[in-house]
Amino acid sequence: MNALEVRGLVKHYPGVTALDGVDLAVRPNEVLGLAGENGAGKSTLLKALVGLVTPDAGTIHVRGEQVKLRSVVDAANHGIGMVFQEQSLVPNLTAAENIVLGSEGPAVRRGIYRWDVMRRLAQEQLDKIGSPIDPLARTDSLSFADRQMVEIAKVLRIEERSQHPPVVILDEPTSVLESKEIETLFAQIRRLREFATVIFVSHRLDEVLDVCDRVCVLRGGKSVGEVAAAGAVPRELHRMMIGSTGSDDHYHGSAATTVVEEQPRLSVRGLSGASFHDISFDVAPGEIVGIVGVHGSGREDVCRALFGAEPTTAGEIRMDGTRIDLPSTRAACAAGIGYVPAERKTEGMVGALSVAENMTLAKQQARCAGPFVAPKKQATLVDSWIRRLSIRTPGRDTPIQRLSGGNQQKVILARWLVAGDIRLLLLDHPTRGLDVGVRSEVYRLMRELAATGVATVLLGDSLEEAVGMADRILVMNDGRVATEVPCPTGAKPTPLDLVKEMV
Amino acid sequence: MSTAVAMKPAQRLTGFMPLIALAALVAALTIADPDFLTQRSLIAVARTAAPLIVLAAGATLVVLCGGIDLSIAALASLSTVFLALWLPNLGGLATPAVIAVAAAIGAVQGVAHVLLRIPSFIVTLGGMAILSAVALVVSGAGTVRVVDDSPVHWLDLYLGGYVPMSAATALIVVAVIAVVLRVTPLRSWISATGYSESAARLAGTPVDLVKIGAFCVSGACAGLAAVMLVSRQFSGGPTMADNLLLPAVAAIVVGGTAITGGHGSVWRSLAGALVVTLLRVGLPIVGVPSAYEQILYGAIIVVAVALTLDRSKVSIVK
Ligand SMILES: Nc1ncnc2c1ncn2[C@@H]1O[C@H](COP(=O)(O)OP(=O)(O)OP(=O)(O)O)[C@@H](O)[C@H]1O
Ligand SMILES: [Mg+2]
Repeated sequence: MNALEVRGLVKHYPGVTALDGVDLAVRPNEVLGLAGENGAGKSTLLKALVGLVTPDAGTIHVRGEQVKLRSVVDAANHGIGMVFQEQSLVPNLTAAENIVLGSEGPAVRRGIYRWDVMRRLAQEQLDKIGSPIDPLARTDSLSFADRQMVEIAKVLRIEERSQHPPVVILDEPTSVLESKEIETLFAQIRRLREFATVIFVSHRLDEVLDVCDRVCVLRGGKSVGEVAAAGAVPRELHRMMIGSTGSDDHYHGSAATTVVEEQPRLSVRGLSGASFHDISFDVAPGEIVGIVGVHGSGREDVCRALFGAEPTTAGEIRMDGTRIDLPSTRAACAAGIGYVPAERKTEGMVGALSVAENMTLAKQQARCAGPFVAPKKQATLVDSWIRRLSIRTPGRDTPIQRLSGGNQQKVILARWLVAGDIRLLLLDHPTRGLDVGVRSEVYRLMRELAATGVATVLLGDSLEEAVGMADRILVMNDGRVATEVPCPTGAKPTPLDLVKEMV
Repeated sequence: MSTAVAMKPAQRLTGFMPLIALAALVAALTIADPDFLTQRSLIAVARTAAPLIVLAAGATLVVLCGGIDLSIAALASLSTVFLALWLPNLGGLATPAVIAVAAAIGAVQGVAHVLLRIPSFIVTLGGMAILSAVALVVSGAGTVRVVDDSPVHWLDLYLGGYVPMSAATALIVVAVIAVVLRVTPLRSWISATGYSESAARLAGTPVDLVKIGAFCVSGACAGLAAVMLVSRQFSGGPTMADNLLLPAVAAIVVGGTAITGGHGSVWRSLAGALVVTLLRVGLPIVGVPSAYEQILYGAIIVVAVALTLDRSKVSIVK
């Protein structure tokens, strides 16, 4: 009998059909992968399975029995739980408190916490995944990966509630993790398989094939097929996702611009701040410079400092030879610098504002005539960028939060391009959460911009991405530039070469 | 696509909810007492509402930016004192002078909030206490009579014999703010700041200036409200406007502007201010016993907010 089965699930949103009759069967004790382009409906399907989305039609069966899931609690009672991104933990509580939060049971008697019981309950969960985390550690003192373990432990509490093997859902758990942490997570997932069923979503297809037993592919809210992971290759999966063959040259290396020696576009000398020291490097016009490093290497902060969003204590920044001061993000914008933050949902976009407003937020002059907004000018401008980047949206006035992740990211990228005055682009994980196809489009766009002389600093989502896109790579370690590796098309270093320098 | 078409009227409806709530209230009051809809009581409502509309309109900008301005009423009280004191010497210039000073005080609070990174709630709570104390000191803790009120008398006239000048001025203030927001990038900047300050900042929005500007306008509006009060009461007093603080906040939320920032408009606050004033003036007129008046007032405010807040735009309701 299937652990979980979905038949003909339909969900409409204004202007879009997120799920269009999805069928899905999840067998007990398997790791099922879910693949599909941005906006294919993966998250909507998973949210329906934990009662966060009420489907318009279709049925959900748990162990052969049809159920209606109205809330997360409902789903938990049926043994289904979802691991949210790490934000769902309360940072100033202990791991134990977070694990029992909402299902305290015997850990609370007469309204009072019984710490020993709570600790034991939490330890039981942590033991299931063999995690060495101290249940009494404060959550905000834990690393990213550890917090995710706490999330998993928290979800495993549902096992006691339903008296059945739990179904654990992981929606893009790896997008915020480092490669080492990903290894740990995968070890946990393999362990979970012993006593639980796992549904796993990631846009990195090699990952999906690596950790899953079987992969189901969604396209346009429909299930379009499945593959056994053993022996399958990412290309095959990608072909099913998009319904045609993708391009071979993922990183568009053939379009890489040859950098001619001239005055550097960006020149950083001895830049120091709270988490980085004495950073010096140049970026030529049309050059893409990748910065790699582990968590805490300070590369994110260097990037923010170059955008005036992080204070510096020493050093100078020159743009095209002229020294500039960056006391604020506004000054950076005016100097022709653009920044795409890693946290798209909280820092990149303003969810409730429309696509048009988000796209023109940084470069108001592009939609204004004098001090006034010119609606016609805005419409033409925004529509032309929607077409150019093939942004899938019901219209320019749709709130950006209704778009899928990839399309949101394209709007944020377009934000810096609409005025055509961009000289330096700082990209912090620009492809986080994007599907293979959109990622490739973003790479193509980066190449196009480089060809027009835009200098780019790229903090890649993975080492492969940094190597694939960059002309030169800076390796950062403990707040300093450890080494610089040339990275021309045809003579790329391997990611392994870089890892050696990173630690 | 059919769902998109079906959703549209419903969405448009939430935009008009403040007006619908207003119309419903007028209808209810008229049913309760058919004499309510007379010229006299409507003029009374309009005149009473005018200072509240102006106060609420200014403070709405601060709320849209994600902050709150608790000092508006105290600032208006202080401004009535200043105006009463300055009228004999400055004459016609007293009005712009008071508005300018009030705007400056508002801006100072904005600067304190932005530069010292203190929550606006605290800054303006402190501001409220300080401004009240200053008003007491400056006025000698008593009412300051205005002997010659001719420079502010125009506000007490009637446009075309019916429309109180003060109400017309309030309408103009709301219209000017609304139009400026509509035709300039300010609206994007203000709502981006209110919805998500960090995203706004990382898009190069002049977040700090926008906030200081909002506090400045809020202060100026408090000054103008003070001029209206003085023109009606022929005096200034250190606590004259103090009881307008909660009605002004109520007007903003009843209009459906989200207290968490981002979503809302000054038009909504205009409708909200009229609802609040109608309740204040209308309930006694239709003969609701004063003991029940407060209960009804509170209940209707809560119901009005339930109706007008567009929850699809506001993800977390605090
Ligand atoms: N709350 C919502 N309101 C309106 N439309 C929505 C909402 N949530 C999702 N959608 C739309 O439904 C479709 C499916 O979205 P979903 O988030 O399920 O995609 P996904 O496969 O998880 O994509 P991604 O890989 O980008 O996370 C998208 O077109 C999206 O724009
Ligand atoms: Mg998703």
